[in-house]
Amino acid sequence: MVTDSYISISDLTFTYAQGTRPALSGVNLEIQQGEYVALVGLNGAGKTTLGLCLNGIIPHMLMGQGSGRVRIAGQDPWVTPVREMGRIVGMVFDNPEFQMSQVTAAEEVALGLENLGVPYPEMVERVAAALGTVGLTGFDERSPMALSGGQQQRLAIAATLAMRPSILFMDEPTSNLDPIGKEEVFEIARRLNREEGITIVVAEHEVEVLAEYADRIIVLSEGRIALQGTPAEVFSQVDAVAALGLRVPQVTEFAHAVEGGTGELPVTLEGALTWAEARR
Amino acid sequence: MTAQVSGAANEAKTGSILAVTKARYVYPRGNVVALEEISVDVPAGQSLGIVGQNGSGKTTLTKLMNGLLRPTSGSVVVDGMDTAKYPVQAMAAHVGYVFQNPNHQLFAPTVADELAFGPRNLGVSEEGIAERVAEATEFFSLQEVLALHPYRISFPLRKLVGIASIFTMRPKVFILDEPTTGQDHRTTSTINRLIHELVDRGSTVICVAHDMPLLADVSERLIVMWNGQLIADGTPREVFSDKAVMGRTHLAPPQITQFSMQLPGRAGRPPALSLAELVAEYQTPDRAAAREA
Amino acid sequence: MQMNTAMSHVRGTSWLHRMSPIAKLSWLVAIMCFAFASYNPWPLFAIAILGILMAASAGILKPILRVLLVFAPVTASMLVIQAIAPAICSNNCHVATTLGPLTLYQEGVSHGLSLTARVLSMEIIAIVALVTTNPADLFSAFARLRVPYLLNFMVSMTLQLIPVLTREVQIVLSAQRSRGMKSTGFGSVIPSFVPVFAGAFERVQQLSISLESRAFGSTGTKTSYRQIEFGTFDKIVAVAGIVVGVAGTVAGLFFWSAGKTPMIILPVWLTVTIFLIAAVMFVGVVVAALIAIARS
Repeated sequence: MVTDSYISISDLTFTYAQGTRPALSGVNLEIQQGEYVALVGLNGAGKTTLGLCLNGIIPHMLMGQGSGRVRIAGQDPWVTPVREMGRIVGMVFDNPEFQMSQVTAAEEVALGLENLGVPYPEMVERVAAALGTVGLTGFDERSPMALSGGQQQRLAIAATLAMRPSILFMDEPTSNLDPIGKEEVFEIARRLNREEGITIVVAEHEVEVLAEYADRIIVLSEGRIALQGTPAEVFSQVDAVAALGLRVPQVTEFAHAVEGGTGELPVTLEGALTWAEARR
Repeated sequence: MTAQVSGAANEAKTGSILAVTKARYVYPRGNVVALEEISVDVPAGQSLGIVGQNGSGKTTLTKLMNGLLRPTSGSVVVDGMDTAKYPVQAMAAHVGYVFQNPNHQLFAPTVADELAFGPRNLGVSEEGIAERVAEATEFFSLQEVLALHPYRISFPLRKLVGIASIFTMRPKVFILDEPTTGQDHRTTSTINRLIHELVDRGSTVICVAHDMPLLADVSERLIVMWNGQLIADGTPREVFSDKAVMGRTHLAPPQITQFSMQLPGRAGRPPALSLAELVAEYQTPDRAAAREA
Repeated sequence: MQMNTAMSHVRGTSWLHRMSPIAKLSWLVAIMCFAFASYNPWPLFAIAILGILMAASAGILKPILRVLLVFAPVTASMLVIQAIAPAICSNNCHVATTLGPLTLYQEGVSHGLSLTARVLSMEIIAIVALVTTNPADLFSAFARLRVPYLLNFMVSMTLQLIPVLTREVQIVLSAQRSRGMKSTGFGSVIPSFVPVFAGAFERVQQLSISLESRAFGSTGTKTSYRQIEFGTFDKIVAVAGIVVGVAGTVAGLFFWSAGKTPMIILPVWLTVTIFLIAAVMFVGVVVAALIAIARS
């Protein structure tokens, strides 16, 4: 018997209850544990929908017609309650402030643990660890509403980390942040992936950053996977990506304009400088 | 009227449509100094970009520019009108402020009503309003959504409606607060094109943004805010080359600019602002050497 | 908004701050019941003064006085209105004195004093209790007292959202004024509020997904991160509060109720002075508010 990949999605189709067309159409996706996968696509392409299918919000909370097969770390989110899936998949969304609800930062981080009935001494430990991982040690008594956008987003990440998920889905986590905030969040994602082995699935528009950190890029268009592969494989297909209304890293587009051809192009600044050196 | 005469004289003197003179702003509660003696003269028709981290004072500066806030000391004069002497509603005919989140504006039953709101507040006649709505519909390609409820259209379209509803007020100066933050490439391209078209028509456009590639493309001048101070003011090329300023403010020039600045054999040349520029340079090295900033 | 910053928690280490929130709640309810039951202003004024003394000993006198200033016009208005148009006597009111065109009635002044005393005492005690309690501890106390989780959460969420929604209203008003909207009149209501509601709706949508993803809907025992003190000493204090509350309320009903309170007759000069102070506070604040509205 072939064992499923850590995240195994076969032929997933989903239409929201109020929807006129499927939000996802026949999506096939295999993600291994420890991978850093980026979802790229226009607004409405299905990135958020796909993420919400990972922890069971779809179909338990957001209802609609779905078919296909989804296995997350061996669990079937269509059967397993969302509460249990929360121990495996952590979710972070694009508006940092909209994820805050508690009076103090520490309680925000502890919320999930309280809901799961984790005993007090363990909670204290986990909250401290989570705050430390995101660089918010000492922020325990601060009001989440009074924090900056970047700090709030890091707090949202800590709130999921306290539940010790092995997968973290982030839906455009930096779109409402300033450059410093963006850096902080991407740095945490990188560290969580490289040092703690957490599987990262992030939907983003910042292709330059994704090219640097992601193991794989999945391009979604109108609910389907249009392209997938390593950043070099995907972004080298400059015309195909442009046809989907998306863009590739500027250096890649440059190399394509200058060199053309069908080979792999550089996708990072460093890679591009090396490439330029070789062409001299 | 005296106010107009002195305003006109001021404009004639400096030639600027927007003059911020030693403007300082201190928040009344808590005595927080948000802006420290900023002076900026914006000539009519300029496309100005304002960059800075959140909390640098850039938003406070733009709010001084349309009269939402009045300077604690110093002055702000727009199109001949001193913001300290007129309420923001009166300034609205001269300077339009497009808020970052269109949802903060949208309330009307249809997009058409939304577009009519501004001019109606200004006392424009019904024929005038109809004409302006038609013009905006054409300019922003809103024909399909004119009769729809603003909350029923996609967020990118709502962003356009937000800008269009300021457009119908026909201000000489547009202030766009983070027009492309959180938007996908398609919407960003549309907004990029719109800014170019506004500038082509002679409007003065002030863009506050984090989107460096956008500003590199649309702005002829950039000012950099940090800790309530204006620490750089120049062309994008000048600002991006200033490593000290970029480093201090944790801002990064567009990737293509960084690339051009680190390319061997290109030292001493001004950085490229766009792909097209660098590509052209690469393909015709002699012409590029002769090019000026 | 003024009210919110006025009521916000002031950190400290006084005996009041360190008192267990449950014990504080117990005494707060006790005193509220007593204040409700009593009509005679003297014991109520005594409670008010006691409250001020407690505030002083806890080092929070300034915040308390600031809050009182916010509530002063409302409190003063009661005295002013009752004095010139008493609610309790219809045709057979005794005149205390006349002040130009105004007639101050004895029953009105007396009634006004009672109402003012009641409101003042309740205000001061409630604010002293709230200002010395960390809101997070307050909600933990409710949870400990077995207030339903959802109710507790909703109240805590609402409290958090007040400053947030206030800010949103400010932003929307700025946006619409920047489109030439005049601040007053009917035409300004819808453009001001629809966007705020839409924003609130969107926020709640995203928040519920975020909460759900953190096991929010789960049934079963929940643990609490925030631990509050409720040791033996605190339990004794809380029970003492209940006992005193019950006894006080009974005493209030028996000795100090409306029926048992004789009409208060003050020397004319005192009546006039009190009336004038209250009138100035009331009218002054109303005028200031109108000026502020007209300017905005």
